Formats: sequence, C-alpha cells, structure tokens
Amino acid sequence: MMADRRRINGPPGGTRPAVFASNLQSGTSATDRAQRQRQPSELRKIFLKTGLIPTASGSSYLEFEPSASLAAARANPKSLIPPSSALKLACTVHGPKPLPRSAAFSPNLVLTTHVKYAPFAARQRKGHIRDSSERDLGVHLETALRGAIIAERWPKSGLDITITILEAEDDRWWGSAPDSHDASWGMMNVLAGCITAASAAIADAHIDCLDLVAGGVAAIVSDEPSGTSTGVPKLMLDTDPAEHRSILSACVVAYMPARDEITELWLKGDSSKASLEDGDTRTGHEALIDGAVDAARGAHTVLAEAVRESLLRTVGQA
Amino acid sequence: MGIIILPPVVEDIVPRHEESDDSMSVDSDEDVEMSGVRSPKRARIGNETVSTGVVTPGEVVTDDPQWMRGHGTYVTPLSTSIIATVAGTVQKTNKLLSVHPLRARYTPEIGDLVVGRIVEVQSKRWKVDVAAPLLAQLPLSAINLPGGILRRRTSSDELQIRTFFSEGDLVVAEVQSVHQDGSASLHTRSLKYGKLRNGVFLAVTGTGGSGASSSTTKGGVGAGALRPGAGSGMGGVVRSRRQVWTVNTHNGGGDVDVILGVNGYIWISKHADGAAAASSATENVSITRMEEMVSTSIYSSQNDVIAPQTRREIARLAQCIQVLVQGGVRVDEETVMDAYEASLQVDLEVGDDDDEDEETRHEGREYLEGAKSRRILELVVKRVG
Amino acid sequence: MSNQRQASSASQVPHLSPAELSYLYTSLSLPKTPIRPDGRSPTQFRPLTAETNILPGTNGSARIGFADGTQAIVGVKAEVEKTILSNETLARNDGGVGGEQEGSAAVGGHGSWVQMSIEIPGFRDDDALPVFLSEMMRESLVGAVGTDETSDMTGGLKGRLVINKRWHWRLYIDVLLLSQPLAYPLPLLSLTTHLALLSTKLPKLKSQGEEDPFFDDDWAVAEYLYPRPSLSSGAKSSARSSFVRPPVTLLVISVGENIIFDPNREEIAVADAVLAISITRDSEAGNLKLLSIRTVDPPSRLTQPGVPNSENVSMLGAVAPTEDVAVLNPATGEEEVPGVWRPRRGGVKRSVIAEMVKTALKKGGVGEEVLEGLEGVEVS
Repeated sequence: MMADRRRINGPPGGTRPAVFASNLQSGTSATDRAQRQRQPSELRKIFLKTGLIPTASGSSYLEFEPSASLAAARANPKSLIPPSSALKLACTVHGPKPLPRSAAFSPNLVLTTHVKYAPFAARQRKGHIRDSSERDLGVHLETALRGAIIAERWPKSGLDITITILEAEDDRWWGSAPDSHDASWGMMNVLAGCITAASAAIADAHIDCLDLVAGGVAAIVSDEPSGTSTGVPKLMLDTDPAEHRSILSACVVAYMPARDEITELWLKGDSSKASLEDGDTRTGHEALIDGAVDAARGAHTVLAEAVRESLLRTVGQA
Repeated sequence: MGIIILPPVVEDIVPRHEESDDSMSVDSDEDVEMSGVRSPKRARIGNETVSTGVVTPGEVVTDDPQWMRGHGTYVTPLSTSIIATVAGTVQKTNKLLSVHPLRARYTPEIGDLVVGRIVEVQSKRWKVDVAAPLLAQLPLSAINLPGGILRRRTSSDELQIRTFFSEGDLVVAEVQSVHQDGSASLHTRSLKYGKLRNGVFLAVTGTGGSGASSSTTKGGVGAGALRPGAGSGMGGVVRSRRQVWTVNTHNGGGDVDVILGVNGYIWISKHADGAAAASSATENVSITRMEEMVSTSIYSSQNDVIAPQTRREIARLAQCIQVLVQGGVRVDEETVMDAYEASLQVDLEVGDDDDEDEETRHEGREYLEGAKSRRILELVVKRVG
Repeated sequence: MSNQRQASSASQVPHLSPAELSYLYTSLSLPKTPIRPDGRSPTQFRPLTAETNILPGTNGSARIGFADGTQAIVGVKAEVEKTILSNETLARNDGGVGGEQEGSAAVGGHGSWVQMSIEIPGFRDDDALPVFLSEMMRESLVGAVGTDETSDMTGGLKGRLVINKRWHWRLYIDVLLLSQPLAYPLPLLSLTTHLALLSTKLPKLKSQGEEDPFFDDDWAVAEYLYPRPSLSSGAKSSARSSFVRPPVTLLVISVGENIIFDPNREEIAVADAVLAISITRDSEAGNLKLLSIRTVDPPSRLTQPGVPNSENVSMLGAVAPTEDVAVLNPATGEEEVPGVWRPRRGGVKRSVIAEMVKTALKKGGVGEEVLEGLEGVEVS
C-alpha cells in the first residue's frame, strides 16, 4: 500500500458529521422539525433558466424554492445542520448529432439519458460511478422524454441528455431515524425536476416535441405527531419529504397539458387509505395521479414562461 | 380462468432409434409403418459394417474403407475409419456416408423459396436474415424495379434503396445462388416475390430443410415423423412440392395465403390476387397496365382492409402450425390443412359439452393450448398416418 | 452496440416490418374483441409450469417455465445479521424515554435488509434493464406494509425480518433467467420470486426477547417466512385472504381501447402504453391493493414507420393521390392512414391508466386469479 505514513489519514469511507446526543434531545422536539407552511395544493416556486451552458446545443438550470424552515434556519442558524434541502440541477443537451458509424440504422432520434448526482449533492457523499438509483432515474427520464419528442423528424441521429444534480432533495427529515421510512421519496422530487429541466433544455436545443413535458409530484402524508398512531392521511402536492413525518404513498408524473397525456408515471406506496373530501368518489391512486398532474400543470406554466423568455432574449440580442 | 399453472412434466425418455423416422438407418423388418418402396435397399445397406441409428460425435461410423466420407464426418490420417462429428442419423448415398444432425440450422440450396427479414441496408444490396448461419444478400440488381418493364438500375435507385426494402421488412424470395461460404444470394424477380404485408409472421424452430428431412419427404415417406412426441428433431418446414397455397377458410374468413419458407419462416396473410391488388391500388387501370400495377404494389407497406373474421382465421392457422411444431410434426401443406380442419372439429366438440354461459365460453376459446392441442395432434396423425 | 442502446430503453425493440405492426395493431385494437396472435382472450395468461423448493441449499426457491421455453429460477437465502442502531434510537434509550417508542428500525425493519439481484443472459448486471427490474420488484416487496397489528407480519416483509432489537434476518433474493428473454421478462421474474418467497422457511427461534438469537436445528419445525394458512389450528382459521402475501407485478398494455394482460413480445411492440402494476392482498379488507405503478417505455415509439401508398416513391404514378384519407385514431388523437403503421408518440390518458389498474384490482379480476393460481401451486 502506498499509504502516506507521515500524516494521519482520514478513514477511507465517507464520514458523517458527529451528532451529539444532547444536541439530538432538543433536536427531536417538534419545533425544530421542518414543518410544511404551504397549503396542501400550494406549490414551491421554481427558478428555471435555459441556455446557461454555451457549449451545449441546449441547456437549463432549475432550482426549487427553499422551504420556509430552511429559509428561517439560514437567516437565524440554530444548528449547523440545515433542516432541509432544496433541489438544484443542471441539464445539458448535446445533439442531434450523427450516430457513430458502428451503430445500426435508426429511423428515429436515438435518445440517451444520464442522471448523475454530484458527490456533494446529498447528505451522504455519492461516488463518481453511477449507482443503481441513478440508473433507475435515467430510465424513468428517458421514458418521460421519449413520448414527448417527435423522434422521426431526426432519423439516424442521436441526442444525449445529461443531468447533474447539484443539490438533491432529502428522503426524510435528517433527524429521523434513517430507516423510519426508507423508501426514497426524495428521488421522486428529483425526477420531477429532471423532467421539467430536460424539457426546457430540449426546447432550447430546438428539437421538435409535441408539448413541453413537465414533472409533478403528489403524496399522501399523515402528519399528526400523535404518538404511535398516525393521523388522517391527506393528499398534498409538491411535498418536501423533510417536512413530513410519514409519507404513505407518492406519485410522480410527466405530463403534457396540451394533449392531457402522461408519458411517465411512477407511483409507489399504499394509496388506499387517503381520506378525500366528501363526495369524492375517486380511489386513492386516481386522486394521487390527479394531484401529481395538477402539480405538473403548475410546473408547466413556469416551463413555458422560461422557454418563451429565453427566446425573447435571443431575439432581443439579434 | 385467466391463468393456468401446471406442475412440471417429466418427459419419458425412451430410446427411439428403433422407431426412428429416418428410415435409412433402420432395419426395415421391425418398422411396420414403413412403406415398402425403399426398404429392401435399406435392409441391404444396413446389414453391412456401418453403425446404424443415431451416432454421437466421436463415434466410429465405419472402418470399412469402401465408404467415402460426407458431411458430418471426418477421417483421421493413417486410418480408414469414418468418425461422426455431429450427433445425428447416418445416411448413405451410394458410397457416400454422411451424418445428418437431427436439428440443424437452415442451409440454403438453389431454388429454395425463403421468407427473410431485412436486417441491414447497404449501398447496393440488402442483408437478409433467413435463419441460416450467415446472412443472405439480396442485390439491388436482383429485384424487379418499379415501372414494370425490366430496366437498368440507375444511381437514383441506389439512393432511394430504402424505399424498396428497409430494415425490418419481410420479403419472400428465392435462393439464386449459394456462395462458397454457404451464404445465399436471393432474387425477387417474379411477381410472386416481394415485400410481405396483410398478415402475420411465424418463425418455426427446429427447422427442417436439412437433407435428412427433405429426403424423407421426397421419398414420400413421412409417417414416422408424424408420431406425436416422437421428438422435436423432425418438426419444422420441409422442402416440398408446394410451399405456397391458398386456404379457403371457414367462419367467413375468406381466402388466406400461406407461404412456408423452406428456412422455417412462415407468412400467413389475406389472399391477394393480382387483379384485386391492382384494383385496390387504383380504380381505373387499363388491362395493359395491370402488370405494372402489380409490380409496383410489391413495395407497398400499407395493409388492405382486413375483416375481423379473416384475422381470426389467420390467427387460427398460425396456432395450428405452432401446435404441429410443438408436437414434432413436420409442417407442409398436407399437415397444416389437416391441423386446420382438426382445430375446427375440436372447436365443435368443445362447444357441445360446454355448459358455461356464452360469455365465458367465448373468452379465449380461440386459444389452442394443452388438451386442445393434443386433440388436434391426434386427429392430424390419424389422418396423415 | 445496438443491443446496448436498446437495453437502455428498458425494453427491446423487436425487428418487425411496418406492415406486421399495422396488422397487429389493428387486430389488437378491434373494439371489445381484440384478436391476439395466439388467440388468447385479453386477460388470459400463457400457461406456465411451476415448481418450488428445487434448490436444497436455499431457504426457499422456485422455478417457472413459460411455454415458449424461457425459464427463471429464484433462490432465497437468509442470514442473521446484527442490527446497527441508529443515533436516534440510542438517544432515546439514553434519555430513558424508550420503552414503547423504540427505534423504528428495530420494529419496522429496513428495506436494505432485502437484497435483490437479477441475472439476465446477455446483459451486464449494471445495464439499465436488470437495474430497472430489480428496483421495480424490490420496491413493491419492501413497500408492502401490512397494518394488521395482530399477525407476525406487522410492517410487512421488513417487519418479519426483525428478530429482536439487536438482530435481524438479511434476505438475499437471487433471480436467474436461464435464456435470453424473448419478451419483457418482468412477469416471469415476478411470479417466480413470488413463489420462491412463499416457499421460504426460516428456522424456528428458540431464544427469547433480547437474547442473542439461537435457533432450533430441526428443519421440520422451521416457519414459513410468509405464514401459510394452517390446517391444524382452528383458532387461526380465518379466511385465506387474511394472510400477507408477497406482491406480484403484472405487465399490462393498452392498445387502442383494449387492455391486454401478459403480452408477448409482438404485442408489446405495438402497445400504446405499457404499465407494470404491482399488487398484493390487503390483509384487512381481503381484497387487492395497489403497491406501485411504473410506466415502461413502449418500444412502439422506436419502430419504423410505414409509407402510405400515396407517398411511396417506388409506386409513384400508380396511385391516385386522393385515395388515402387520414382518419383520427380515437385512442391516440393522431391522424392516421388506415393500414399504415405510425410509431406511437405522446403518452397515455389518465382514464386509460385508471381502467388498467381497475381491471387488475377488481374483485374476481386478473389479479385475484393470478394470486389464487400461485397459491394453488403446491409448496412442499
């Protein structure tokens, strides 16, 4: 081994910041826990801008508004650990470009998607090699986009879409036991962001598509911290997993408003317990999908505005 | 019931060389079903010092120096013994000794009618998958160019080569020549040949077309192969007199064409006679232009309007062929037609003793599985055998 | 190269000619009575052969073979492992608040205790298809949380793996496909995994409470991971449906207005939408409940388009140009010339998704039939 003997090396694996019991005692009190300040159907603000990377044929940058508790914690830090995180990601599109000579003939545009977390994106460091969750996200994103682009306009060409996640959404509040709900709810928010950003970047690259496809998330959460029994499950749009005690079920869609069609749907968890308003005859999963579509509609307005804005900017320069 | 889950079946493995369908290597005295035409000759050969029945690679077929080695065998230097290189049946043609594998990939021969799928488009030719070890080629010069009359191919034809055949397209063609390496060169210079449409494709495994099965059919002795469960080795399409015919289907299905490619690829489609095809393409066409019309429609990828009844009967025919293949029965015009008739008969039988209400009986009644397929096989064997 | 590329789309694109695709699509989208190439009804599955406990070296195993010759083998192995207590649990125990409010990991179990690997010939294990499949199946497996407080299965599979606060079982589920898949292999893998888990036994625990665990070495008294309906004890002779069952993932496609289950390769190739729907029995209500839905990229988007006769260069002059009238496909909202294949584009309507889920979940529907069929397989 070529270990450096003259200094004391850190452990080879990643480390987590030390958490002290006394710190936790107060930390577990409900006041420090991030709380959702928004209405159930109120969405977070989205910052979306296209054309930031000049070398790519299309690019976009997307940022979610930090939650109220995060903003408060930044203004008045009580702890070194931020209570929640906000999604930030960059998307680049290269192409359409000719396929390599060795590739078989394709009558359609060949789409490849790469989703990669930056090593510092999550609380736990990510390696440089794509892990299974990143590959999984890539497949979801590809499904979402392939339905939207008009692939036969670009035969024999390839399109590479690369997304770098600079800051990821948490899967749960950091102070909760890491296993309390180990499903990766944050990944769904990340996917929704990826879809919206990629759609903007594709429009920026002037690739024909049927509609701007936007991502949206809805979840069924039970929030009341009443001991062991969970409260009444409610449907919420655009959930930040750090703000909720227990997420029963969540759903992300890629949605095209002009055609009222879903190109990608990923729903998981038990949605049958959702308590809907009286007279609402929808089943839990239908309500969940409808909620995610509503969230996607909201994202679409931002998306359309961002694409229009970038167009006007280039017109203004000319 | 939407799903059928069966326990695994342990197949009885009975050594079958005694009743092997390859009559060449069987002592004819024991084979009752063998027609007597070729038996005496066979018995004579069988008596000699050549190992009969099924041989395995490495097995000495004979050490008698009078034999010449053929396909599937080799000789070691300084020795006269002929050793098998494949597992299969021994076949003798005069003094030539060869071993034919029971299951082989298709080896093209000149004149074979094949169904193939375009896998690659090059500048002056197509590469076609015909289930052979090598891709066959179809040169641009070997197709009928649109315009009816035979004309020279031009550079514009080369540029729009994909408008004739593109990747994934199915063609019916004839083997024009076989190259040194065993790859085939095809042609479609006939109105019978060209792009396939209006139907379904079927790839049959355990393809015949190797010499062994073709010789059985040519000799008119195929009874052995028809024993159900006699082994999947001999199932598949064999070279026969008619590879293309039209079925007048029941249940209002109309006429349906069946193309059995020698290579095991099968196309079943709605019947299209030349005049109808031409008139479907355009209304007012003079009789002199008819030829031209037909030749142009061979590059169409647009399906005609096909009635649901016809589609049902096409699906039924396709399943009948699957049943034959699974039962290890050779596939040719005779067996396919028998299986089709049998399937109709089975349908009537089932329909009679079925007390369930109309709705559920209708569900999946066209699916030929398990019991139905066994019954069809029985009937086919009875008729042919 | 092309194999690599297609693998990334989570679905292989079979080479089919536009004429075949068009024929198939029209047959499958016939209103109310689709004609499938093999004559099955829309909800009918291909017959399959199944057996369990085929591998003596495992805690549970199963093999399923389809009629087309593709087979899958699943082996389940269990190991005892020390639970790493989280910070929070430690903190709570130090503060003396603990007791009822134990660390959630010690009670609820952890999803990472179930490890799943899928081996498909012709694919690397980090290719998109195996990764996508194993995530999809693991997600529904660990997500199946039973809320029945009385049974052992509190917290679903995860909860069952808890031995005590400091020890747990780790479950390795290894899925092996024996040949290159002819169709999208999801249903085969999911059904086989379901059977293997049903047949999985864990040795009987002899230690009590928070002791270091030790087990009865008599394999005959080992307990099923998923409790079977016991014949002897009359006390627990509640309805069969009250037992928690591993989930199954069904592949459902929509073609036109029809919804088709267990599609084969050609049928997937023309599908408007492909959904993987995971379901399980709801231990309380006795009916089925939905665990997850994922869209699968339909390969029909990558197919070769057909050329209408009116636009066919090699037929120029032969056809009257006004002959082909484009009609509106009600399912896709696209204009199409009948008999000419167009690659699908766009997505799927919400009503179609709802219909697909409903057909799978409804009482006496496909999902129940599949679960009952699997239940009927003799677990020796």
